[in-house]
This record gives sequence, structure tokens and C-alpha cells, in this order.
Amino acid sequence: MGPTEAPRATGVQGAGSATRGARHSPRTHLSGGLGLRARVTATFAIGALALSTIMAGITYFTARQSFLNERQTTDQRQAFANASLLQNSLRSPGTNVDQLLEQADTLPGSRSVLRSGGQWYATSISVGKSAIPDQERTLVLAGTPATQLFSLSGTPQLVIGVPLPAVHAAYYEVFSLDELEGTLRTLAFALAAAALVTTVAGAALGRWASSRVLRPLAGVTAAAVAIAGGQLDTRVEAGDDVDLEELASAFNQMTANLQDRIEREARFTSDVSHELRSPLTTLSATVGVLESHRNELGERAQSALDLLDGDLQRFTRMVDDLLEISRFDAGSAELSLDEVDPGELVRRAVAVSAPGAGRRPGGAGAVPVEVAPDVAGLRLRVDKRRFERVMANLFDNAAHYAGGVTRVMVERHPPGRVDGPPPLSIRVVVEDRGPGIPVPDRDHVFERFYRGSRSGQRASSEGTGLGLSLVAEHVRLHGGTVWIEDAPGGGSRFIVELPYTAADLVYPAGDATGGPGGGPDRVQ
Amino acid sequence: MSRILVVEDDERIRSSMRLALEEEGYSVDDVASGEVALARFGEEHFELVLIDLMLPGMDGFETCRNLRRHSTVPVIMVTARSDTHDVVAGLEAGADDYVTKPFVAKELAARIRALLRRSRSDDTGESVLSFGDVQIEPDAGVVRRDGEEVHCTRTEFRLLCELADHPGRVLSREHLLERVWGYDYFGDGRLVDVHVRRLRTKVEPDPANPRFILTVRGMGYKLAV
Repeated sequence: MGPTEAPRATGVQGAGSATRGARHSPRTHLSGGLGLRARVTATFAIGALALSTIMAGITYFTARQSFLNERQTTDQRQAFANASLLQNSLRSPGTNVDQLLEQADTLPGSRSVLRSGGQWYATSISVGKSAIPDQERTLVLAGTPATQLFSLSGTPQLVIGVPLPAVHAAYYEVFSLDELEGTLRTLAFALAAAALVTTVAGAALGRWASSRVLRPLAGVTAAAVAIAGGQLDTRVEAGDDVDLEELASAFNQMTANLQDRIEREARFTSDVSHELRSPLTTLSATVGVLESHRNELGERAQSALDLLDGDLQRFTRMVDDLLEISRFDAGSAELSLDEVDPGELVRRAVAVSAPGAGRRPGGAGAVPVEVAPDVAGLRLRVDKRRFERVMANLFDNAAHYAGGVTRVMVERHPPGRVDGPPPLSIRVVVEDRGPGIPVPDRDHVFERFYRGSRSGQRASSEGTGLGLSLVAEHVRLHGGTVWIEDAPGGGSRFIVELPYTAADLVYPAGDATGGPGGGPDRVQ
Repeated sequence: MSRILVVEDDERIRSSMRLALEEEGYSVDDVASGEVALARFGEEHFELVLIDLMLPGMDGFETCRNLRRHSTVPVIMVTARSDTHDVVAGLEAGADDYVTKPFVAKELAARIRALLRRSRSDDTGESVLSFGDVQIEPDAGVVRRDGEEVHCTRTEFRLLCELADHPGRVLSREHLLERVWGYDYFGDGRLVDVHVRRLRTKVEPDPANPRFILTVRGMGYKLAV
């Protein structure tokens, strides 16, 4: 939105000018790539994942070992019991070995293999001599009891071999660990799920923690935004957090320095303007005396006096404008609001801004003020002095660059009926028949001392270079905006928009006797 | 020829002011400090006093306050600062009006003329105006509260008369500036505000919660009936 940018742009310009003195500008990189919050969250998640994986691993392997040991002890006990039973049975000759083996099996999933009298016997077709690992077989045949874990067609098995030297036999019992494997698989799954949950919880914790850590940063950000917006007395509070105290005090120190610097600059401008006022007072008073003796002067002296008078006025205006600007910069500009009839306000302002009324050169002559009929009865809250300056500066500007004001209008925005709902704003439109202002320049003309592409058109040396920037500042102080459009038929059209506040919304009940409907007594 | 006392420490400004005011037809005496001004004022009669705010020693505010203790002479403050603070402080010290440096001699002369012109008696038509326990005798230029005379400057007196003459009616600042000070539309509303404040301390039982001179926000003032 070009129009609303214009006054704001000048404001920013003003704030920026105070810091322009910086000699070098080192930059501190606060972060690389990923956002701080994302990084903290990721770190927490990765930490939680690593930790939970290690814990799950330890748990799994400890549990597995413990299960296996227990299983082994049980199985060994059974195998030895079976072995001693078999040994006893084998002592008596003529025993049916196969039958004997069948009886020995007690646990489901356990299968027996027996070597007796140079022959192999087995209870299962799938588990026979060949299923027993070689190492186990030889070890036991050599007379040493042995236990071994092995895999048989993808299933883990435990084989326990017991030599039966008394009957020259060896007994092997093979236990399937399928069930144990199932239990371990369930455990592993549960542990993996727990690790996943822990990781997610870690990420959530990281996100929460980073938000908590970043919360003061949000406060600092808000403060920085406020300072950038001109509220230089903004400070941040560390609360009772020792860790934040350093940041807060550094930030506040920085702001205080900045404020001090800006205020010093504004004060300097203000002091200079005030100091200049003393000699200007003397000059103004003495030129006044000379003016009243004008007729006694020769023609050349009269011309000299005119030049002196003209530039004295210009100088005075410049000092006034500088002082006004310094007040805006120092943030000490205050509105002194009165409630007035907009049409009357503009008519009066035009009357004093016109060349005949004051000592203003060029200007508008008798420019009629066109007040839209739907403005009737509205009362505008405005600082009259500032509004008068706005109009005077617009008239000056038109006089210097565009051959004077051709038209002044007061409008209601949006248009409506007199007895309808109150408008949003009142617009004062000032038109000239000059060459117009190119679109790219329109925002810049509200900058201080802006000459831009219009420098060539400078018709006279009357301007102070601050007029339009002050227009923007005055209007902004009212909460309004000013912008430029093309006037129909050539030339520029300056539009000053002042917000309209309904009177009955502003005044507390009881204090106002004559509301907007009642109408106060008008000045005769 | 009206005599004017100029209190200004800057010699060049003092001389130029004397030149300019003499050109306008006034008889001007100038002094460089508040102390001397008070001494001169005790001995001689002046119809108007111009006081610079920034004086060495006794400053303009103090000089004005001292002057106000035993005189209702019209006082115009001359200030290099038009900040609300200085203007209001000057008016509260008892000044009737103020001008900011650098002023245009003709403008200053117009203000002086307005202040001197209305030093004459009032034109309210009524012989006695009253509200609450306050009686005003416009012709005699006397204000009494509970029978006791209240010390008012001429500006305060005129302001009080104007309000008392239109009881219950809201008078805008412009109206009061025009009627009391003789100024046009662009007179400074702060003049009215500070004078109303000063007046309240003299005629209101509780100046912080006025019962008679009421503010109608954004519009002006009125005298409650």
C-alpha cells in the first residue's frame, strides 16, 4: 500500500538517522541453517533414541542370557535324570531300547538320541545321529558330558550329552528352544516399542524445553520490535532468572545507549534551534523597524531589505521546523486536541496559509474550500496548530513546485448520509496544476531535505526542505496518513486522511452535556 | 502613551525590542534582570510587562510570581521554547499570554494592544453576577467569595465574567480566546486551560473536583447553574 507507507517511511528514516554514525558493523551469526527450536528438538530426540536403544539392548541380552541359563539348568537336570534312568534300564539285558527311549521323554519338544552297543537310537525321525553336532558327539563319546547350542533347520536347539560309561553308551537329549525364542522375540518387540516411545517423548520434551528456553527470546523480540517502532524507553525484565539477567542487562544497556544517543542528537538539534532564536529575534525586530521606515529608503535599499526579510522568514521557518522535527525525534511531540467543524477548520487554515493573510509568498490567493455536503455536522478532533502547519506546508510546497494550489476539498470517507453511521475518516484534498510527481518519487517527497528529481524544478529558494516531512509527522501523530495521487487534469493531489472518532464514543457519560446531537454553541 | 517594561537579559534583543515597540507607539523601559524589574515596578507605574523566561538569577517564572503578589498588571511571557511545559509553567506563574522567539514585532504589538484594550471595564450589562457563594461586580472589578474579596488578574476576571454571563452554556475555547483575549481562531487553547485552572483555585471549594467551572471535554467550558 503505497499511500500509507509514505509517512511511515519518513518515520523510519528519522529513527535510522540516529544510528547512522556507527563506524563498523560486526555481525554476530546467531544460528546456522536449522532453527534453534528444531535443533534442540532433534538433539533431544537423538539422545532419547540412543539412550533407549542402549537400555533396550542391555535389557534384551541380560534377559536372554538369564532365560537361557535357566532353561539349560532345567534341561540338564532332566537329561541327567533320563540318562541315569536309561543307564539303570540298560544294565538289564534284553531291554527294548526304543521303548525305553519313548518313556524317557518327559518334556514336550525334547527328543532323545541314544548310542548303545554301536547302534544309534532316536525318538524322532528328524533328530537322529546326524542332527547332533560332531564336536558334541565326539566329546560325549570320549566320556565328557557336554552341552551345546546349535541350530536345526532354522530353529535354535540345545543338546545335552551324557556319557553312560557303565553300559558303554551315550545319551543325548535335544531340546527345542522355539518357545524361548518366541518369548525373546516378544520382549525385543516390547523393548523396541518402548525405545520408540521414549524417542518421541524425548522429542516432545525437547520441543517443550526449547519453547521454554526461547520464551524470554520472544520477550526480547517484542522489545526489539517496540524499540524499532520508536518506543525507546522499552526495557526487558529478567525476572529472577540468573541466566537471563546477563542478556537482559546487555539488551537494556544497548537500548539505554541508543536512547541516550538519539536523545542527545535530538537535544542538540533542539538546543541549536533555541540558540539560533536569540539572534533571530533581534534580526526580526530590527527588520520590522526597517520595514516601517521603508518609504524613507532608496530603491536599492528597499530591494536589499526585501531580500533580507524574505530570507529571515525562511531562516525562522527552518529553525522552527528543525525544532519541530527534533521534538518528533525525541518523542516529545504532544497533541493538543480540540473538537472542530472540519469545513471551518480547513477554511481557517487556508485563510492563514494563503499569501494575503500572512507573509507567505506565492500560495493560493483566494482558493475556495469545497466542503462535501455529507461532512456537515461532523466534528473532528484535531490539533489546530499542527493542522494549520500541515496546510501551510502543503500550500508552500504547491507554491514552490507547482505554481500554487488550485483546489481544496473536504470529504467524508467513506461517503455517506449526514444522519447515517459515522465515517471512518475525514479527507482533506489539496490539488495543484503543477507537473505532478512521478510515482517512484511519491513516497520520497515526504523525506527530510528530499530534492530528488524535482530539484531541477525548484522555482524559488523559499522551501526549508522539511515541510512535507513535517506534514507526514503531524498527520501521523494524529493517527492519519498522507499520500499523493494524480490530480484529474494534471498536477498532484495531496490527500490528508485524519481518523474520525465519534464524539459520543470519546467522552465519558455525564461530562459532556452537549453531545454530537445536541451541538455546542458556535462561536459567533 | 502606554509604558511597557521589558525584562530581558540579552542586550541586543532588549535594544531591538525597544526599537520595535517604540516604533509601534509605546514608551519602553528595559531592564536586564528580574530583581531590577521588581525594584523598578515598585517605584513606577507600567501598563504591561514583558518577561523573558530565561533570566540569570531570578528566572522569568519567579519574577512573574513575585510581581503577581501585589499587581494585576498584564504580563506577557517571552520564551524561546514553545514546549507545553514552558508555556504552561509560564501561564501558571501568572502570565496573561506568551510569545515565542523569534516573534514578529507587529504580532507582539497586536497582542499588547489586545491586552491593554481589555483592561477597561467590562460590558456584561449586569451589575452583579453570582454563582454559589461567589459574587462578581463587573463594574467595580471585584470578585467576592463569602463576602471576602478574591484577588484576580484582569484576564482571570474577564474569563470569570464571560463564564458567569452565560451560565449553563458551553463556551468553546475559541469563543473564550476571542472574548477574553481578543484573539482569532488560532489562539492557543492552552491559554484558556491554564487560566481556568488558576481561576478554579480561587473560586472553587475543591479545585480538583470543580462544582462550578466544568470542563466539557473537547468542547470547552461552562459554568454549572
